[in-house]
Amino acid sequence: MKADNEELNQQKDENSAVARDAPVSEELSESLAYEVVVTDKEGQVMQRENGISHSFTEAWNKLINCNARQGSNTIKDTSGTERSVGAASSHLRASAGIGDVSRGIRVGRGTTPVDISGYALEDPVDEGTGPGQLSHQEMQFSTPVVVGSECSFKLWRVMFNYTGALVTGIREIGCYVMMAPYYALAFRDVLASSFSVPDGGAITVTYEIKVSA
Amino acid sequence: MRRRELWYSVVVRDHDGEVISRERRKSHSFLKQWNQLVACQMVPWEGFGFPNIKATDGTYWPVGIGAHGYNFRMNGYANADDFGIVIGTGSTPVTVSDYALENQIRQGTGPGQMDHLVCTVAASVVSDPDCDFLISRSFANNSGGSITVRESGIYVWMERCVSPFTSYARACVVRDVFSTPQVVPDGGGITVNYTLRVTE
Repeated sequence: MKADNEELNQQKDENSAVARDAPVSEELSESLAYEVVVTDKEGQVMQRENGISHSFTEAWNKLINCNARQGSNTIKDTSGTERSVGAASSHLRASAGIGDVSRGIRVGRGTTPVDISGYALEDPVDEGTGPGQLSHQEMQFSTPVVVGSECSFKLWRVMFNYTGALVTGIREIGCYVMMAPYYALAFRDVLASSFSVPDGGAITVTYEIKVSA
Repeated sequence: MRRRELWYSVVVRDHDGEVISRERRKSHSFLKQWNQLVACQMVPWEGFGFPNIKATDGTYWPVGIGAHGYNFRMNGYANADDFGIVIGTGSTPVTVSDYALENQIRQGTGPGQMDHLVCTVAASVVSDPDCDFLISRSFANNSGGSITVRESGIYVWMERCVSPFTSYARACVVRDVFSTPQVVPDGGGITVNYTLRVTE
């Protein structure tokens, strides 16, 4: 008890002299990174970009908040309509089958800088084989693994170009997730360069979510 | 650069409510279980075949999205020390594979125990370029002696991937070791706040 009181008095003295509200600059503890790769019909890499994502959105935070506090939030869905959603087991679901663009990774032609209140890609590429479209494959995920002081997992999607012509002008990427029963933008990035996918080729977008101690 | 950040602050008061110590800093501390729960929701994990998550009791739990939206639940009840913000006396540095506090302070008024108040989770607030929400919990020391708090964390609910879907476990998703041990006098209290933020 005596030792504790001495420690307390010492701490009082320290706090009277030091302002402890000042933020302490340290490394971030959760991060998001992306990679974009374009291959031709032979599988040869034609274009690649890696970057640190700029892009967790308001919706991502609010969806976790819904489950964390078992309450509801108003969140814009990917059509721009505000929805009131509560806790749900399917929040953040990004899995999507072939041709499903309601959720999962998407690409687009928008160039507007990322904003925390963004709710969709600016100009998403549609599913299909018509001009300017891409054939979206099933979403893929790795299992979280620990390496050293980090734990990370990846999600990725391959999109083929079966249009018969070059698909040009891809400048944005992102990921749509469920906010039951609707869909929301979880993260979005604007690429440093414009990507073009040759006929018969593919574009693969990979995101890596990482925490580090 | 938009990032997910976690900040915590700790405020200690004496029995008159006077602030006697304070600390605020960026958390080091998203743990493996946080990322596993995010993956569980995004994939999603349904049925066998996915990794189990290590629960706070050290056992492995067959986590899944379940049926109730309880993954990440952290709004701990009063007197409940099994979810929400928790505190402890351990000082071992954080590692990403930590699955519990090193030495948790349990609910109660016995030696080394504290009364746990409700863990409140505020709604998300957008203030460009940030979107954040605050998680807060106070603990009252009615043990009859002072208690030195050195660590804090967040325990959340985990649902199951297989029946029965009405059974839940707890996961430690955040842990921090304070830069300064916080001595809470008898009759005093400690409040721990976490801010979960998305920012540029």
